[in-house]
Amino acid sequence: METIRASQEILLQEGYNAFEIDTAEALELKLTVSRPCDVFVRIRKAPKLRVETTVREGVRAAILFYNSSDETVRSEESFTVFKDADLTVAYGECSHGDVYRNSRVDLRESGAKALLSSASLVNERKEYNIEVANLAPHTFGEIRNYAVVLSSGRLMIDAIGRIVKGAYRSESHQTSRALSFADGQRSEILPELLIDENDVQASHAMSIGRVDEDQLYYMMSRGLSIEQCTSLISTGYLMPITEILSNEELRSSLAEEMERKISELCSM
Amino acid sequence: MKTLEIRNLHVKVEDKEILKGVDLTVRENEIHALMGPNGNGKSTLLAAIMGNPKYEVTEGEIIYDGKDLLAMPVNERSIAGLFLAMQYPQEIPGVTNSDFLRAAMNVRRESPVSLFAFIKAMEKTINDLQMKEDLAHRFLNEGFSGGEKKRNEIVQMELLRPSLAMLDEIDSGLDVDAIKIVGDAITKLREETGMSIIVVSHYERFLEMIRPQFTHVLVDGRIICSGGPEMAQRIDSEGYDWIYKEYNVVPAAEAEETGKRPASIGVCAVRESVKGAAE
Repeated sequence: METIRASQEILLQEGYNAFEIDTAEALELKLTVSRPCDVFVRIRKAPKLRVETTVREGVRAAILFYNSSDETVRSEESFTVFKDADLTVAYGECSHGDVYRNSRVDLRESGAKALLSSASLVNERKEYNIEVANLAPHTFGEIRNYAVVLSSGRLMIDAIGRIVKGAYRSESHQTSRALSFADGQRSEILPELLIDENDVQASHAMSIGRVDEDQLYYMMSRGLSIEQCTSLISTGYLMPITEILSNEELRSSLAEEMERKISELCSM
Repeated sequence: MKTLEIRNLHVKVEDKEILKGVDLTVRENEIHALMGPNGNGKSTLLAAIMGNPKYEVTEGEIIYDGKDLLAMPVNERSIAGLFLAMQYPQEIPGVTNSDFLRAAMNVRRESPVSLFAFIKAMEKTINDLQMKEDLAHRFLNEGFSGGEKKRNEIVQMELLRPSLAMLDEIDSGLDVDAIKIVGDAITKLREETGMSIIVVSHYERFLEMIRPQFTHVLVDGRIICSGGPEMAQRIDSEGYDWIYKEYNVVPAAEAEETGKRPASIGVCAVRESVKGAAE
């Protein structure tokens, strides 16, 4: 895996790419996708990150940002998706540090498609401002957020789906779900659909809730402690994020790492 | 000797008293059948023993193997050897049967069960209960049919090998063949482990397989009579009316209904008398 410590422009290779960001300085990355690829980006340390990604016409790309930093990460990200290109961006967050993320996807030309999805185990402060903008006709945007909020965690998500005038026959969908195990927690999810065109499809679904008491009782009646139940349920809730990786080896090693991290955070 | 002792147990659910002083002793290797009409406290008793937080014990004590169960959280009761095969098993999406069961097996062992040993044990149990082979990889009870859920309870029981098994209408929702499979699995496990059993069932067919030595009848929150296996047989053929008469009790559900009954009897009586007068 290539370690990135200084700002640079990267033309992503066809197939599989893996990077690691590890710097105490501000860092700016420009990623260009011109061939189909899968990208794994591990964030070890990035107090101030800027990522600009361009996905060229007709290309499919999946990018997973996995944050394993135990310090605060601030990240500004923009993704521009051109004609008939298909982008999946996923965030895996099981870190000990705060995260402040602004992330914006522009579906620039017709046929552009993007899915932005996040899975977060929230033990600290996590603030996401996410926007997917349909700027052209026949574009498809989707946002999915899944979060498990632990007792010391604070989650805020502002998720915006925007369809501009003239972007007819476009779709904007979003789902955000937050699960908590303890009383007195604060999670805020603001789902927004800003639509300035008539001939479109849009939807949003949102839920914030506690784990079902009957489910906990059932699991505990087989001998599991409340921490173990929390860990198993959280793992089940967040693990699907790894499925965007097509590389089997990487997927299973990431799944293992997440499982370890989740179990560690849940028993704190 | 692992003995379960229940003394003067009172249990409330949502401010309603369901159990009104239950005494019951179950010794090692004993099988007890708990009978009684619906809504009179059988499931409540089992849930209170297991520690369901919705059931509030207001008086009395439950001792198992010398330990005060009421002071223990649910998971510790399980580790102490209790197992409740539930009437309505929960669905837990996202958690696979195998992850769940491995974790549950490991909490009661010194060193974790090896993957190989676990897979072998799981395969054998799936085979015993004649479940589908993909059971291990499916999410816990999610999308299972009623019968599959019940059989999965016994899968869990077989792997966790409790010293006291409580079966809450585990036979309901099972077809004739499945009842046999489940009954055989329970009997075999008991032969291997010498576990004691408290079984709640309405079906003589199932009880014949489990062969309880003791029968208790729970009416309106109290065990009003206890006997041997012949009592279960008599209830199967004659129902509960003879018990209500003999012990002068009214079952809880009917006690509530009697409040409405005079009106309907009145209406019928009027019609009868009108009819009588016309003749």
